[in-house]
Amino acid sequence: MRYVRHCNRELRAAYIELLKQDAGQGAEFPLPDLLVAKDMTMPRHALLATLALCLMFLWTPASVAAQSETPLQDVLQTVQEQVARPSRAQVAAVLDALQAADAPGTMEFLNRWAARDVFERPEDGLFFYAREGESRSLTLIDLDTGADVAEVTSRDVNQIRVNAGVRREIEGALVTFELLAPDRARRLAAVRTIARSPEAEHIPVLESALAEEQDGAVAERMARVLDLLNARFATDGAARVAAIEGLSGDITTEARRALNQILSTRSEFAPEIPEGVNVARIRTPGEDLDLIAAYARLAEADLVPPRQGRNAIRDALRANVVDGEVGGIPVHQLDTDEMRRAAYTALEEAGSVAPLVTQSDMEAAVAEYVFFDAYIEPDQAVTDAARASLDSTRTAISLWQFLGISLDALSLASIFFLAAIGLAITFGVMRVINMAHGEFIMMGAYTGYVVQTVIPNLTTSLIVALPLAFAVTFAAGVAMERLVIRHLYTRPLETLLATFGISIALQQLAKNIFGTQARPLTSPDWLAGAIQINDVVSVASIRVAIFVMAIGFLLLLLFILNRTRLGLEVRAVTQNPGMAASMGINPDRINMLTFGLGSGIAGVAGVSIGLVAQVTSEMGANYIVQSFMTVVVGGVGSVFGTLAGAGLIGALQKGIEWFNPANTLAAQTYMVLFIILFIQFRPKGIVALKGRAAGD
Amino acid sequence: MYIPRQTAAQTRRSFLRENPSVLWFMGLLGLFTLGVTILSEAFGIGVISTNLVKILGMTLCLCLIAIAMDVVWGYCGILSLGHFAFFGLGGYAIGMWLMYARTEIVIRDSLGRGTIPPTETEVSEAVAAQIFGVVGSSELPLIWSFAGSLPFQLAMVVLVPGLLALVFGWLAFRSRVTGVYLSILTQAMTLALSLYLFQNDTGLRGNNGLSGLQNIPGFLDVPQSIISVWFFWASSLALGAGYLLFAWLVSGKFGSVIRAIRDNEARVRFLGYNVEGYKLFVFTVTAIISGIAGALYYPQAGIINPAEIAPIASIYLAVWVAIGGRGRLYGAVIGAALVSLLSSWLTGGGAPNIDLGFFRIVWTDWWLVLLGLGFVLVTLFFPKGIGGLFDYLVRKS
Repeated sequence: MRYVRHCNRELRAAYIELLKQDAGQGAEFPLPDLLVAKDMTMPRHALLATLALCLMFLWTPASVAAQSETPLQDVLQTVQEQVARPSRAQVAAVLDALQAADAPGTMEFLNRWAARDVFERPEDGLFFYAREGESRSLTLIDLDTGADVAEVTSRDVNQIRVNAGVRREIEGALVTFELLAPDRARRLAAVRTIARSPEAEHIPVLESALAEEQDGAVAERMARVLDLLNARFATDGAARVAAIEGLSGDITTEARRALNQILSTRSEFAPEIPEGVNVARIRTPGEDLDLIAAYARLAEADLVPPRQGRNAIRDALRANVVDGEVGGIPVHQLDTDEMRRAAYTALEEAGSVAPLVTQSDMEAAVAEYVFFDAYIEPDQAVTDAARASLDSTRTAISLWQFLGISLDALSLASIFFLAAIGLAITFGVMRVINMAHGEFIMMGAYTGYVVQTVIPNLTTSLIVALPLAFAVTFAAGVAMERLVIRHLYTRPLETLLATFGISIALQQLAKNIFGTQARPLTSPDWLAGAIQINDVVSVASIRVAIFVMAIGFLLLLLFILNRTRLGLEVRAVTQNPGMAASMGINPDRINMLTFGLGSGIAGVAGVSIGLVAQVTSEMGANYIVQSFMTVVVGGVGSVFGTLAGAGLIGALQKGIEWFNPANTLAAQTYMVLFIILFIQFRPKGIVALKGRAAGD
Repeated sequence: MYIPRQTAAQTRRSFLRENPSVLWFMGLLGLFTLGVTILSEAFGIGVISTNLVKILGMTLCLCLIAIAMDVVWGYCGILSLGHFAFFGLGGYAIGMWLMYARTEIVIRDSLGRGTIPPTETEVSEAVAAQIFGVVGSSELPLIWSFAGSLPFQLAMVVLVPGLLALVFGWLAFRSRVTGVYLSILTQAMTLALSLYLFQNDTGLRGNNGLSGLQNIPGFLDVPQSIISVWFFWASSLALGAGYLLFAWLVSGKFGSVIRAIRDNEARVRFLGYNVEGYKLFVFTVTAIISGIAGALYYPQAGIINPAEIAPIASIYLAVWVAIGGRGRLYGAVIGAALVSLLSSWLTGGGAPNIDLGFFRIVWTDWWLVLLGLGFVLVTLFFPKGIGGLFDYLVRKS
């Protein structure tokens, strides 16, 4: 190995000789990396072959080499001196050269150059990145290929030291590079980066880039970000005001953040408001400023003696206990605030503690000063413009937020609707209380989970899972109807209990089979994202899908109930089983099918709910009470009623959350209370059936 | 036809003669209490562990709420899925005193060691910080203002469930919500209450609940073995008194009216009875008894949290009553005792697992499946529950 390395050194020397010969004739530099990159591993004959190749390369005409992408190393070698010993005056030459060549990896090089992560090898003047190895050795890395080149000690190479001035130049250039990049996406990305961390230096760069920009959309975006920058950093007040006015009505987060930053304040106090301070608001102690807090701030500035709090008084007393007495008062009597204050006053008169700061002391001290919030921005025109700008967006933002809440409510309503629609059939149409309905939802979700473990493709598994879940829960529903519910049609309350028995048995069975931990039901990629309308409103795609599905079920159900033979028979049996039977309808069969349909829909709902919520054995139980309430509020026996109920409950819950966003539990509590009250006033729900169909 | 007026003594005699089950029940309860006392560690030979005494005492409380449930459901036909909420409220009311008073004793003790005695504000602030530190607050909520007063909290045990039942029942019965709808409505009430209690900022420590309730302030030096027997006696006494009260209530004319309401509400209304008043009375009285049962239960359990109030607990209550047999008080007691004891035996890991060779029955996993299916079978084939067996025996003899 040592021999190989030695040999390699000779090769390199020969190569450098060749370079020097050619340099004078302005020839393009060939790839050095073929030679140096693999020197640790290449067998000798391979090296020789490489050398031959390189030599061939060297004598090819310069124009041919220029057509292929110029390697970065070669570009750098043209300005070797300036790169190796950068100064602020000369760095422009390097940047121009790099920009002209636009070699791949330029960005990374600039970053690492600025970060003092580039090394020069004095023998040949080539540049490398380096990685620290063991025992302070450095592994040199080729600029273009990223391959390890050689292992050296830090004494063998020069670290290129970039001073702060040069670094600033480089960083500016980095942005310019990207802003002028030929690729549109890269330009947009650069603008986004600037918008994310705006700085004053970006203004001229962005201005020049904007002047050259051809693409309309990109130019618009640049102009917007330029406004943002000008609003905050422009030196000329009028320019800033103009830029700020340009931002009015802009509801993007970045615009609002920029405006809010301009409007940021700090709390101050002074004997009187000093000149040249841009006052945002004057605070009156006792009204919008706590008296004790105001005094504490004065005390903090050493303007007044600190106020003794309860603890301070106690500690002072404790320190002055003499023979079981403090200021002549026995210690055991000091268990009220009055006695303690009396003892403290006694100590104060004896001069052993600092005088007590009383309420009137504090009021007097605070009255000496004006407390106010001042804008950090001194120019009042600017802050006024920013305030106006921000106010102008307020209405728009509220409207958008209202839209967002409405969409949330709609999505929640569709989940409630999906969970309750099956119940609307079994409970609403058949008047059967099925407490196991939630467990059918759970069965559907677990069916989806099992299918997903069998079929890895998420889209396919979803397509398979939906009908399969329907089949599974349809079968379960039919079995339950045949075995249990059929015997209890005359005893509705006992149906409730029997189905509850089934519900706890099913829940425990699921726990035994799948365990207690939540199982994931992953949605396919095309449902994973969110639809971003603007910075205020976005909707998860999965919720849109659930909404669509809820609509689909509504239509399907309406079609089945109103337009098919089965629906006709279901309605007939519901209204009058005896009469229906004498018309040749088999009520048993119809009841069975209806119950199966309701349960099957619960299964499909389970799959879709599983996509947004956790799949656990208890998930059904979480929906059952809400589902019953949805049906009851909406009006038993009507599909539209269930829709209205779900809409009301969803809107209500989100509406209450609007007032108290942090507390979903409170929203649910108040929602349930509202429903209890609502049923007082409309016991038959929103859509109340009338006449014989009402059933009672 | 001349009907002689009955004297008070005759009425009492006839009440007991008409209800031989009451005498039987009282006798058995007395014997059971005596037996447990003799076998306990504190007052007897120590065959029954303190823990078991507690479980038996808690079971007696569950029996008490079960007979309350039986009266409201089995006799009056209101399938309330909210009585366990009243039970929990009773527990919370007494739990607040237990927790506050005990913490106050501890705090006073530690603050009193300083050179200067603490002020009342300091004590209550320290107590609040101690109790509510777990939910990130150090202020005493308004509802705890009188938590240090035992009489006040004892009154709350009765008043809170009673008033809630009164208001809720008045609203519900007034608008003639009946049957299944009423069940769903009561379930909604229970859900709202448990969701409310689950919040950290409602002043009852959120889902942490109240804990350390087994330590009775003022008796902190008394060992748990003795306290457990005291509570067992109290539970037994409460069950006996409750049984007597309800047996008396349902035996007379009042009982006939509420049974009539169960069987045909409209007809009773047409006969001129104030159906809503009767229902409201039954609903409220049973809620109060449930609250008292809860107040006795939770000091034995030692901890209460909102999960205890969840709607499912109330459905279990209905399950016990249904298995034991509705419409007879001793049926409710049998159902509650049997199912809750079996449940704690089988899920507590005390029962031996059964190896079938091809399959191993682990009771903790399969008990609920068994209970659920058993319950379906009882509903389908033995609507009268276990109590129905007694009819069979009585008729045979």
